[in-house]
Parts: sequence; C-alpha cells; structure tokens
Amino acid sequence: MTEQGNVVFISKASLSEFEGKSDLLQGLIDLDKNLLDFYLDLNTLKTGIGLRDRHMRENYLETKKYPFAEFTGKIQEIPSLELGQERQVLAKGKFKIHGVEREIEVPGKLKMISSQELSLTADFKVLLSDYKISIPKVMFYELAEEQIVKIDAVLKKK
Amino acid sequence: MNKFLLFNLCLFGLSFGAQAQLERKLATESQEVELVFHAPRNINLLTVEPLDNNTLHFSIMHTFGPLEGGIQNLFGLDNGAVIQLSFEYAFSEKFSLGATRQSRDKVYNLYGRCHMLKQTQDNKMPLSLSFMGGAGVNTADYRFLQSENPSFSERSSFAFQVMAARKFSEKLSLQVSPLMAYFVDPNPIFLIEGDQNLYLALGLSGKYKISGKSSLTMQWIPNLNNDLRNNIGFGIDLEAGGHVFQMYFVTSQLLNEQYLLAGGNGAPGDQFRLGFNVNRVFATGKRKSSW
Repeated sequence: MTEQGNVVFISKASLSEFEGKSDLLQGLIDLDKNLLDFYLDLNTLKTGIGLRDRHMRENYLETKKYPFAEFTGKIQEIPSLELGQERQVLAKGKFKIHGVEREIEVPGKLKMISSQELSLTADFKVLLSDYKISIPKVMFYELAEEQIVKIDAVLKKK
Repeated sequence: MNKFLLFNLCLFGLSFGAQAQLERKLATESQEVELVFHAPRNINLLTVEPLDNNTLHFSIMHTFGPLEGGIQNLFGLDNGAVIQLSFEYAFSEKFSLGATRQSRDKVYNLYGRCHMLKQTQDNKMPLSLSFMGGAGVNTADYRFLQSENPSFSERSSFAFQVMAARKFSEKLSLQVSPLMAYFVDPNPIFLIEGDQNLYLALGLSGKYKISGKSSLTMQWIPNLNNDLRNNIGFGIDLEAGGHVFQMYFVTSQLLNEQYLLAGGNGAPGDQFRLGFNVNRVFATGKRKSSW
C-alpha cells in the first residue's frame, strides 16, 4: 500500500505561475476526539527548478529556522460518514508557517473510500505578508502574494 | 474507533495514544547545507557549489587593465579586457564537466568538478569537499617569431584543486583550496611571469552575506613555491533575475587556473583591476512532474 498526502502551493503571479509540491504531508484525523493535526516538512517542497527551491528555502521560508508548516484544529460539525459518500466539512484551527501562527478556516471534503481508508481534499489561501514572508522585487520568478494551498490525502485507519 | 492516520513513506511508524499532536519530524534528518557560495566560482576560484543535475552553467568573465591610469584610462577599462567564456554541464549532482576559453594566449581548458562531501545542517558532516582537475592548451599563433612554433604538448598546462568549504553561519562561508598548476614548457613567449613548470598555492575564498541576494566576497591566493606576488581580490556578488553578477577588484588579469598561478600579480592598490563575472544557469532535459 503506498498512500501519501499531497500538498501543492500554487503561486499565480501575473507573469509566472509555478507550483511547489510535496507528497510528504503527515497527519491524523481523530473523529472521536475531533482533532485534526497535519504538518509538512517544507524542505520537501519542490518547484521543478533547483535554484528556485534553494532560494525559497534560504531566503523566504527560512526552513533552517522554521522547517514545518503546521495545522492543528477541529472540525466544526462532524458529519456521519458513509462508504463512498463525500461530505463537506469545515475545519477551524491554527495554521503555522515561517514562525507565524494564525487562526484559519479551511473548507474541505471527507470521503470514506473503504472501511480502512478516508480521503481528504481541501484548499485554502495563504497571504504571504500575513506570515512575514517578504516577496522579492527583482527575481527571475515572480512570487504571488496570495498562495493557494491544495491538500489531497488518504488516511489509513490505525 | 474512527481513527485515521496518514500513511507515511518514511521508515518510522507514527504511533499515538490518547495524546494530541503528532511529533514533528524532518523528512531528511541530515539536511544538506545549500548555497555555500552563490555560484560555481567565487571571484576567480571554483567553489564547492554544485550545479543541479542536467543543467548548463554559463559564465562570462572579464578583467580590465590596472586602476593606476586613473580616469584618463577610465580606471583600466580602456586597456582592453581579458575575457573568459565558461560552460559547465552537470551530469549529476556530484559531477560536472566544463570548458573555458581565455582570450589571453587563447587558452582552451577542459575541466571536471567532483563533489565528494556535503556539509549537513546537523553538523554530522562539518564541511563540503570537492575536487577539480583541468587541462588546457595555448592556441596563440607564434608563427611571426623566427623561433620554432611550440608543439601541442609544449603548449599544454594542467591544474588541480581541492576545495574544502564550510558555511559557518547564514552569512559567512569560507573555502580553503590547495591549488596546483603545471606547465609542460613555461615558454617566455607565453604571457605568464613564472618560469617554473610547477606552481603550488593555497587559495582562500570567502563570502559574507549582506542581504538575501547580495554578498561581499574575497580571495587570497598565497604562492607556496615561488616568489611571484600573491593574488588578492575582493568584491560583491549580486543575484538578480536568475543571473549572479560578481564584481570585484583583483590583482591578476588572468582567469584560468593555470594562468592565475603562473601569471603574476600587480601590487594591491593602484594595480588592482576591475573585473566582473556574469553567471547564468540553463535547465536542460525534461521537467519532471511529481504527479
């Protein structure tokens, strides 16, 4: 079984659009206690250009100091999940990146794929200035102030 | 028991009881230190900075005449530049091959760079270590001379360099590079000052970051087995738009490793020369998609 959680940060600037991708999202959903906890090692984000990745890590995300993006929160109303049915959920919690923590709301979809597996898709927006990530003025790639984060994960029952 | 846990590809199993959060673990325990230097070269000397797999690095290097002419010669810019074009292609993260051509004596050089060790953030590996070996040939036309035109082998020269570097902090990186150059026949008609076959030197390179995209740079190359003046240089690296601009003052006008060691240097001060390198990387091959 090889399942994984995928995360994509999409940067849509006027002239250049690129994505930072990682499939090493780690996390858990505990429906009994109503707990959501996800984190990503930002060192694993790849945009397809090595130099851009290195600059992203060193100058913007500063992954040596702040290696993780984290989300810990709760589901607003826990739906009753039935096999093969997708349910809209709203998660509320703390998102932390670049050493800055903020309360966010994330709409997403939960689906029981089988009795052992649950799939989760969600996307939300991150404003870089909210997390003190400054945008370079002169660069060979343009970085959008608003980043779209897409999450696509399959969780296994423990 | 509606508990679900993300299956992960790592070797450690995530176990949790009744406690809340997952333990935060890095995907790679020993993260490699990156961007020790801005480019494969720091002023004149090759560094431990690797190129990405299947990328082509192009650099155009210039040095002008000495500053001592003052404004009359626009601080050496009127004296004609020595220009070196440099191409380097990375076959892997560890190995690249390069070719350069220096205008002075029309020297073509082929070299390889090999990266053996990489410094890691947890200091399990405290330094980065690379090697460089190169061979060059002087293709200048000496037929106007009455004497014998030097043969191919008499025109050949070789260089070898070990680069040991450490990024001491986000700002400061230093590199020590023992250097060796060998001229098969150090002919007086070549534009070098030395008259020996073998030249040994110890290169010291430094980078001090002053902002996200700019650093102060320095180099000092004391000679170990001859009386030629030592090379001193200092400058600034600027990253802009995918290029790295390297501007510097240096005591030697020469650019390839062999000539750098045998070519002699002016006195620091009036005999500094203005120089600059422009670096650019081109990605080749197919972009891999991770999906």
